[in-house]
This record gives sequence, C-alpha cells and structure tokens, in this order.
Amino acid sequence: MRLLACTLALAAPLAALPAAAASPTPLSAWYMYGASAGDLRSNAYLHGCDFARAQPGTSLRILLLDFGAARKLDASTWGAVDFGNTTFSNAEILAALERSADGYHNCHVRGSVDVLYGTSNYQLSGSGMSTSDAWYAGYHQSERAKNLHDYQVSKGYSSQTSDAAGDMEPSWDGQLITKQLVNGDQGHGWALYYDFGSADGCPQNGSADGVCTNGWHVSDVGYVSFHGPAVPLPEIYYGANAGQWTVVRKWWDGAQSSDYFFGGVTASTGVGLAPSAAWNTLESLNGGLVDSELVCFGC
Amino acid sequence: MLTLRLAAAVVAGLTVGAGGGFAVAGAVRDEPPEKAAALERLGSVATTDSSTEPAPTPAVEQQPIPARMLGSEVPVPIAPSILRARNGWLVSDGKTLVAVYAGSSGSDPSLGRVVIVHQDLVAGKQAIRIVDAGPTGALTIAAAPLGPSVETSAQTGEVRLQTAGGRRLVLDLGGDKISQVAHGASLP
Repeated sequence: MRLLACTLALAAPLAALPAAAASPTPLSAWYMYGASAGDLRSNAYLHGCDFARAQPGTSLRILLLDFGAARKLDASTWGAVDFGNTTFSNAEILAALERSADGYHNCHVRGSVDVLYGTSNYQLSGSGMSTSDAWYAGYHQSERAKNLHDYQVSKGYSSQTSDAAGDMEPSWDGQLITKQLVNGDQGHGWALYYDFGSADGCPQNGSADGVCTNGWHVSDVGYVSFHGPAVPLPEIYYGANAGQWTVVRKWWDGAQSSDYFFGGVTASTGVGLAPSAAWNTLESLNGGLVDSELVCFGC
Repeated sequence: MLTLRLAAAVVAGLTVGAGGGFAVAGAVRDEPPEKAAALERLGSVATTDSSTEPAPTPAVEQQPIPARMLGSEVPVPIAPSILRARNGWLVSDGKTLVAVYAGSSGSDPSLGRVVIVHQDLVAGKQAIRIVDAGPTGALTIAAAPLGPSVETSAQTGEVRLQTAGGRRLVLDLGGDKISQVAHGASLP
C-alpha cells in the first residue's frame, strides 16, 4: 500500500480525478455492413471520425468494430463474413481499420483510443472450420491488430493503439472451437482479446462451475473471457446477465491464481437495461472490479 | 477508460498518458502476466498525435445492396439473450441501410420478436429497435421485397412475418410496428 500511495502521489493529475464509481459515458460500437471493400473502408472512416467527435474526457476509450463471424476463406486466407453475407479478407479488413484510424485522427478532439478488430464465433464449425482453423483466425486477428498499430505509429497517431475482440456466444458454437480464438491470439502474442459476448444460460447465483447453454460451463466462459490475453467486456443487456458474469468472476477467483476483473461493459439500446444501468448493475455486484469503459451498440 | 488496468500499470512503474478515473481497489491487484505487455502498451498511449498532418479523406463510395433474405448461415449481430433468430432481411440504397432479424425473445421462446438495425451510412450512425409481437412463438420472415429495384422504397415498406402457428403478421418499417395482415392482402 505504501508503494501505491507513492505512485498515486506521483500521478497527481490522475489522482486528482474522482474514483471510478459513476458509470462512464457510453460510446458507440458498430456492426459492420458493406457491399464491397470500398464500402467497408468508407464506413470505418466515418465511424472513427464519429467516435472521436463524441469522445468525452481525456481517457483511453475503446472503439469496437464488429466485422461479423470469423472465417477461413481459402487454404491460406482468413477474414470474416459480415452481417449482410459479404466476405472480407483480413487484408481488406485491415484497410478498413486503417481508415478508422484516419477518421479518428482527422476528427480527434481529446483523449485516446484502442481500436478493436472484432469478430464472432458464429457457426465456426458449421462453416467448415476446424479447431486449428479457429486458432489461426485468432492468431491472424492479433496479427492484424499489430499491423494496425504499426500503421498508427507510422502515421504519428500517438493517441491510438489497437487490439482484438470476439463476440463469443455459447449459443453460436462449442466451447472447444471458441477457445481456439483466444489461444490463437495468445499464440501470436500481441493483442488483448476482448470478449464482448455473453454467459448465455449460465447460473445467476453462486460460484460453482455450473452448466450454461450448448454444453458450455461457467469455467468455459471464464476461459474465453480471462485466459491469457482475454479481457471480459461482457454484454449486460438484462439484470440476469450481470448475475451470470458475477458467477463467472467468482468461479475464476476460486479456481485460478489471478484475480478476475472486467474491462468494462458492452451495452445496447432497446434492451432491458439502459447503458449506464448496465454498467452500474455489474459494478454493484462486483464492487471496484469493473473498468470505466462502456461500449454501446445502437448508441 | 480502462482505469483499473492503467492503475495497475502505474503501480508497475509505468508512465500513464491517458487520463480517467482512478480506482484504488484495482491498483493493488495482481495483473495476469499474459496481459502485462498489452496493458503496459495501453498505459503508454498519449492523448495527442505527434502528427498534425490530416489523413486523406476517402471518397464516400457506398454501393447499394439489393434487398435480400439472410439465411441462418449468415451471422446475426444480435445476441441470443435478446433474440433467437430464425432468419433476416437486408437492404441498402447506399445512403441508409435497414436489416431485420426475426425470431423469438432470448428469454421467452413464446414471445415473437424482431430486431431492426437502421444505419445512416453518410452520418455513420446506427440504431437498434426491438419490436415484440406478443405470444406468437418464434417469428419468421415469410416474404419481403427483393432485388435492386426496391433499395430505397423497401426501407419504409412492409415485411411479412409468419408466427410459429402459421398466422401472418406484417412489419411496417415506416414506423417499426407489427400488426395483423389485412384479410386478402397480397404479399410484397
């Protein structure tokens, strides 16, 4: 604690700020649609600019772009299929991510940003992908996040960095193949892997390794959200979701050597909990363990 | 704002360039070693760019997307806790985009539900609307305008839905409302 006190004193400008008790301002995340790679780049540029203009304060915030389901496109090409059933290679997605970095730079007012290359585990095996393919999907996500970071550095975008993310939903595929996304990211070794998925069907109380949807257990959700480079940014759309994720945190703390924390909350408009209520509900069950980050689809 | 991890980074002796609230509780926590390097990187991000040179602005080259049905193999952006999707439909005229996903509530399979994603492609804004149909069971999109000739008109038109029991409903995209099909009405 003495070290902490000294450090806080040295970080006076930060320490003067209030403790993170109130919910952060929600910032937009986007589902990516595009008829072509050009569309994707245009959309990403606009999202980067829109995000920068809306960003309050001087802190580091997450810009999450969800490109759809991770896919192996051919023998040596990985990428994603978007929400309109258009496939994009990782090279095309990287070009779009670079445009989002340009948009953020051109419209930057204050603060800094972590641009996330997001995909999902939607029907990985149903599309013909093996567990090895999923591992490489995660590997290349981290690789592309690193490529984006290299671009940000080369352009002098010092207020930016980049990482990877996965909407990992138990309903959408099995736990074994989904874990390979995280393992592949870890194999590459550069990007954090934010889990903006759910603990669908998991128990809402207790700390046991209970059963969730589709053969998953609480421990599996713990793995994809906190193993290695994984960081939970859980969907909290209803009060029950906060209970489910609290069980995941309690299970992890009881079974693993590191202490589980939440990287923030993923919220949405039109659901049971408004974005600020979503963050507050998770924080109320996990006091001091929820980072001050609130990404929001539809905001 | 990543305050807990940035706090940990400060404890680790790093310079923190990003502001934000400071959570003391987080500062005494052990950081998992596999995340350490990335967390250090987050702690070193500045709040200004070293380059003041504007990036080139890309030409806005949005192409229309002819109205199309989306089968179960197409990824659904909506979480299963909100919607257990059966199918979807999408159209864009290059300026605005509408996507409709039909199914049932994630927590109550008897509750029919559609989720509508509206996007303003010029402004970069996206909005999500959830519309419930009541105790109909899972909804399926049974018929909707298709093809390139309806890329604008279909966005405020009608989409026909079918309930689990075979009853027909209509989703009016002009107001995002579900109602009964008028007897004898033709499909779009």
